[in-house]
Amino acid sequence: MRTDEDLAVALLRATATHENRTEEQLRSWAATALAFGDELPLEDPDVRVVEEANGVARDVVTLAEYDARTHTVTVHTDSLALLADVAARKGWTDVTPDALRRAAVAHEVVHHRLHGGLARDLRHRLDHVVCRVGPLRVRGHVVGADEVVAHRYAHRASGLRRSPLHLSAALAELGG
Amino acid sequence: MGYAILAVMAVGVVLMLTRVLPTAFALGLMAVVIALLAGATVLGDKNSVGTTVLQTGSTLLAATMIAVLLGSWLGTLMEDTGIASTLVRKIVEFGGERQVVVALGVYAVAVLCGSITGSAPAAMLAGVVGIPAMIAVGVRPVVAGGTVLMGIATGLPLDLIGWQFLSDAIKIPIDQVRSFQLTLFPIVLAGSLLYILVETRRRGARHAWAVRLDAKPASTRVRRGDAPWYALVSPAVPIVLALGFHVPIVPSLLAGVVYALLTTTRPGKLGERALRSLYRAFDVAAPPIVLFVAIGMLLSAVRLPGAVSALTPIVSALSPSGTVLFVLVFAALVPLCLYRGPFNVYGLGAGVAGVLVSGGVYPSTAVLGLMASYGQVLGVSDPTSTQTVWSAQYAGVRPEKVMASTLPYTWLIAIGGLVLTAALHLT
Repeated sequence: MRTDEDLAVALLRATATHENRTEEQLRSWAATALAFGDELPLEDPDVRVVEEANGVARDVVTLAEYDARTHTVTVHTDSLALLADVAARKGWTDVTPDALRRAAVAHEVVHHRLHGGLARDLRHRLDHVVCRVGPLRVRGHVVGADEVVAHRYAHRASGLRRSPLHLSAALAELGG
Repeated sequence: MGYAILAVMAVGVVLMLTRVLPTAFALGLMAVVIALLAGATVLGDKNSVGTTVLQTGSTLLAATMIAVLLGSWLGTLMEDTGIASTLVRKIVEFGGERQVVVALGVYAVAVLCGSITGSAPAAMLAGVVGIPAMIAVGVRPVVAGGTVLMGIATGLPLDLIGWQFLSDAIKIPIDQVRSFQLTLFPIVLAGSLLYILVETRRRGARHAWAVRLDAKPASTRVRRGDAPWYALVSPAVPIVLALGFHVPIVPSLLAGVVYALLTTTRPGKLGERALRSLYRAFDVAAPPIVLFVAIGMLLSAVRLPGAVSALTPIVSALSPSGTVLFVLVFAALVPLCLYRGPFNVYGLGAGVAGVLVSGGVYPSTAVLGLMASYGQVLGVSDPTSTQTVWSAQYAGVRPEKVMASTLPYTWLIAIGGLVLTAALHLT
């Protein structure tokens, strides 16, 4: 069975700008982002949460989304039900729509929190140096690392046995 | 007879809109029918369908076609050698999680791509990595698609191929085309920046836990190495030579191709890469070249003496006179360049431009301004343009949503272009 780190590497690999990164580079970033998600203190969501049922499209399933302008998390109930169904068929009985809802909200809360100082901390931890002038180093943004952090945090906050990275991989199998 | 010709044009628009005939075939058919209605003989040395429309007309835009091929060659090299994707990757890495900075960076790359090649290939160069990268940092999909399109349209006034096309189609020296396009450029730049700044802030960032059921977008991003930093200026080489040193268009584009090759390819592989990318460029350039063959035929047909004398009185009566009316009427008619409408400069609009110039309704420089202004709208907002369809679908939204998002801004840019035209060429 693939580990969370393997799945995080695959997530980064599928993200734009990482097409020609080495496996070692992506694995190092994945491990750092997962550790960052482990260290984030669990907090109650301080965002507005609404529910909608239009998350399932032909080629993409949106479980939840965060609108930074209105500080609102939209949870797509049809997508959660679909994922719960996929999990049930695999015998993962703890994956209920309620537990998934907690994970989805927690995932988006990380995007809400990952601005300013926290985003800078993550960038320093990832230590992707894109420019070096003498002692000065400019650290670049690693696209997709915030997703890995959000998945790990959501795992801890939801109490699910299977991680959101595993659940996402199971859902992606629907597309063949 | 003039009304019969206008009726043929209307039927042609319907054929294109309903997709009964591909645009190029509809234009070619229109050219033949209009020529016959204008009294042209089937065969003959002068004013005939065979010689004037089919033989001379098909090569009327030959210089444009060569420029299209060379632009496509440079575009293919930028893709093959990773120049375009490296540019976007660097911008995203430096821009960080600030979505406006990333969007502006991808926009700048799209401007460069739009200045060397047009249509869907330019959108792909900037968008294949740029669109998902923008979405990943929180830019809304519709704005991500719109940003790439706005960039390509901003590159249009600097596009050497576009200069050649307008020069050939309106029969106007390249110097005059260049002069107008450079005056139009700040208006386009301001309108596009307004779109990015307003739309990214108005809609705010959006992050999602989403799972793709098809891996197509990721798989289309081919794994390539980074291009060296000095290769990244390749797309700017042609425009610098043409603008700064007044080098003609074909050698400017060729210099860009040679520079891109020399800075990215080992000497032993130069010949192979040059030839392989040139053959691929023929595939990329085929659709616009076919279109330019048909437009050349249509232009030849509407320039026939019989067509000019039949159409001039009608078009003169319908065309607004005076600067204020010119701006108001043509601003109101902007939607007619969408959906392959009669003011689409890469379709029937070229024929309309031919009629306006041949009949002496407006000075050719004013027609140039009119067509360049309309070109800005259709290059971004037309949901039937290949670049708009590709960008929207790649971003995961419908082309009509991109039209709704961008049209207020492109319409504003077109009005700016019309005011400029009226002020410079109608007073």
